[in-house]
Amino acid sequence: MPKKVRLPIALVLALVLALGIAGAPGAAKMAFETTGPHVDEIIMPIIKDSEARRIAFERGESVVWAGLTQPEDIDRAKSMPNAEMTMTLGFHMFYLCFNMREEPLANQPIRQAIAHCTDRDNIIRTLFKGYMLPMTSFVPQVSPFYKADVPVYAYSHGKAAEVLDKAGYKRGSDGIRIDPKTGKPLREMKIFTPTYEVAPTSAELGKMIADSCQKVGLPVVPEPMDFPVMLDKIDIHEFDMYVLAWGLSRNPTHLYSFFHSSMDVEAGYNNPGMRNAEYDKQSERLYYAADLKEAKEAADACQLILAREMPYVPLYSRPYIDAFRDDLVTGYVPMMGFGAASYNNQWTTMNIRRVDRRGKAIEGGTIRWALQEEPKNLNPCVASSAYEQEVLSRLNDSLMAMHPETLDDMPWMARKWDVGVWEPEPGKKGTTVTWYIQKGIKWSDGMPFTAEDVEFTINYLKKNDVPRYLDATQDIVKVELIDRYTVKVYFDNISYWHVYNAGLAFLPKHIWKDVEDWKGFEPWKEAHPKIKGYSKLVGTGPFILKDYVPGEYVRLVKNPNYWRLNK
Amino acid sequence: MGFRSYVIRRLVYAVIVLYVILTLNFILFRVMPGDPTKMIIDPNFTPEAKAELRRQFGLDEPPWKQYLNYMKNLLKFDLGYSFSTRRHVWNELKERLPNTIKLFLATFVLTSTVGMSLGVKAAATPGSFRDRVVIPAGLFSHAVPTFFVQLLMLLLFGYYWPIMPIHGTMSAPPPVGAWPQFVDKLWHLVLPVTSNMIVGFGSWALYARNTMIEALGQDYIITARAKGMSERDVLYKHALRSVLPPIVTLLFMSLPGMVSGAVITESIFSWHGVGRYLLDATLQMDYPAAQGAFYLIALAVVICNLLADVVYGLVDPRIRVGAGGVK
Repeated sequence: MPKKVRLPIALVLALVLALGIAGAPGAAKMAFETTGPHVDEIIMPIIKDSEARRIAFERGESVVWAGLTQPEDIDRAKSMPNAEMTMTLGFHMFYLCFNMREEPLANQPIRQAIAHCTDRDNIIRTLFKGYMLPMTSFVPQVSPFYKADVPVYAYSHGKAAEVLDKAGYKRGSDGIRIDPKTGKPLREMKIFTPTYEVAPTSAELGKMIADSCQKVGLPVVPEPMDFPVMLDKIDIHEFDMYVLAWGLSRNPTHLYSFFHSSMDVEAGYNNPGMRNAEYDKQSERLYYAADLKEAKEAADACQLILAREMPYVPLYSRPYIDAFRDDLVTGYVPMMGFGAASYNNQWTTMNIRRVDRRGKAIEGGTIRWALQEEPKNLNPCVASSAYEQEVLSRLNDSLMAMHPETLDDMPWMARKWDVGVWEPEPGKKGTTVTWYIQKGIKWSDGMPFTAEDVEFTINYLKKNDVPRYLDATQDIVKVELIDRYTVKVYFDNISYWHVYNAGLAFLPKHIWKDVEDWKGFEPWKEAHPKIKGYSKLVGTGPFILKDYVPGEYVRLVKNPNYWRLNK
Repeated sequence: MGFRSYVIRRLVYAVIVLYVILTLNFILFRVMPGDPTKMIIDPNFTPEAKAELRRQFGLDEPPWKQYLNYMKNLLKFDLGYSFSTRRHVWNELKERLPNTIKLFLATFVLTSTVGMSLGVKAAATPGSFRDRVVIPAGLFSHAVPTFFVQLLMLLLFGYYWPIMPIHGTMSAPPPVGAWPQFVDKLWHLVLPVTSNMIVGFGSWALYARNTMIEALGQDYIITARAKGMSERDVLYKHALRSVLPPIVTLLFMSLPGMVSGAVITESIFSWHGVGRYLLDATLQMDYPAAQGAFYLIALAVVICNLLADVVYGLVDPRIRVGAGGVK
């Protein structure tokens, strides 16, 4: 039966020691400055082939080799004398999902037995040479909402057999377990995985779990298939089990999206088909929490129920491992949950600087940072991929920032914010968030950034139903401009998370007010109406887009109007 | 039937073929498993946002209406907006076409010239040392996978002996001045084109060798030699001319294949071209983008077939166009 264990801290430390990587949890306090940037220019060559990216890093044509996941790449980077590696835990979860709608997986003992048959340690050791973190809860370890003491179904064929025997699933003459309800052998249960060609580790992992289940008489088989076919089958709930990964965020609202019964619809994310009244109540408490305390309590309760119900078997979480050329640069900041080279990490962009031959940090100059894909569309309303954010995140700032070590909110373009309550209609409560914008912030073309830009952006995104920001804007009822630097946003329900809905790419009103075709607008290609040599891609961030030659490179230069400029 | 009627008939066939291809192009992507909105796997992307995206993509319309819109737009050469980038597909293709054409032309000229020259030379002296080198080299070239040679060259000239650029069509940023930029672009062509030549010359060499050997055994070659013609004239004026029709056909037929075959080269050398665009669009279920790229390739196939038909008639004296009709 489940027992309470405290795996993570020991495992994290073990992983860090095994890797011998800097910037890991538990390392000395991170040094970072909130002013910058310290380089004049970033040239980002677009190198799509992974082998070519590795060679570019080794040749010094890129100061970073970002997002290492393959053990051989990690080993290679570790062996380079002029490479320093950083590692942080990530908001990532790889899992085995059950379809709880159908027999026999609707039965908890079967799911529990499969969980007992899943040898996470062996999977991580065999397939990933230890470069993954075993995951036992439904929130990644790095999250402030992670609950360490949830019951864990430890790997044990003996315990799996015990659970099955106790529930009446006896072995038949051929070794297959008999369903006590029908008296017949259990039907074959399939684990869908992507094909070996597309995702060899996922495919092999499915086979390992299936082989292990067969040892206790569970007729589980792996079925690798084309990825779009697999997604289709998952969407219409035609599956027994599948393995897949999620990239998550700091806030645990996925616990609502993934397991609340209202999300058990086609194209919804409750793929296991979990329908549990107690869970619904707790996940609603989480999703509509009035404050952080309530959110934390509800997240804990959700994780406990999930550990019991086992709609997923969480398998592992992938840490962010990045390699930097320490003979060329210094100042990169490993950020918990996002790594040192992720576009979510504004601190590396602000703090990275070149070093001279003696390894001393120097101001200014150019660094080269390889992009692995084309940033195809730099229109902030349309850009959705990580590759576009690699560029846009360096051109824009947000209202609040995230501390790289604690992940706490930090005032940024907003010097403070208030969260309050209002009545959208009699008897109903809604949330208000009032933002107090810092004075003196300028767009890169020199125009002031004010509360009017915030108001304009929200109204513009709402008016056009921009899909990318629908989740952030759909609960907003109205925006009120209090003064030039204060804006109040009204939401039609109570939720602590609304404060994070301001994570928008703000649109400069003076540019966008005349844009009617928000989808077709290509601001980086249109000349700025007033400033020669500038485009209409105007931001408040540390850099300006100087050139973008499709397929070749992106060139960013320091924004002379940046409000956090290192003077 | 006159040459004009022949060309018109071929043109009508070409239009019908194009129509069928375009229809299949539409159907294939719709029957393929998957849904473009499912390519966005983000817990914050709600079912409502997905529905809105489907509406904006026009995927909420019935298939017949989607088909009518698709054909109507194609007639206007409007390839629509890419699902993944929301940019005009034609604008995206226009950005990439010059790179693909550059890569393709350089590869085509080098591969066919080297391959055919080697094949003809080998055929002139069958069994000689030259022939014994060309055959296994041709077989190796024909059999070795493109990606293997390209990765090997990347490793050799990018890493162990780092003298060549390993990605893109130009330096980032490019040098100043027209002439340095021209040289820079040529320099970036060397690895991709050479690797393509290594894997491509073999089939040309073997084909040219075999057809030439067959031609060199014909009676009219013996007659030509008996008349005292030089071996060079026998080889190039008689034998080569007689094998030109199938080679010309092969030349034209290989053109579209090289465009679609650019996928691997463009991926490995991070070349911003149509091949890589097609691959990305297909993987991301970006219907308009993939349809646009296929449309271009289909157009290239049909035009090349048409040209092959016309040129075949011109280069082969046995085919009479005009008074005797087309055989």
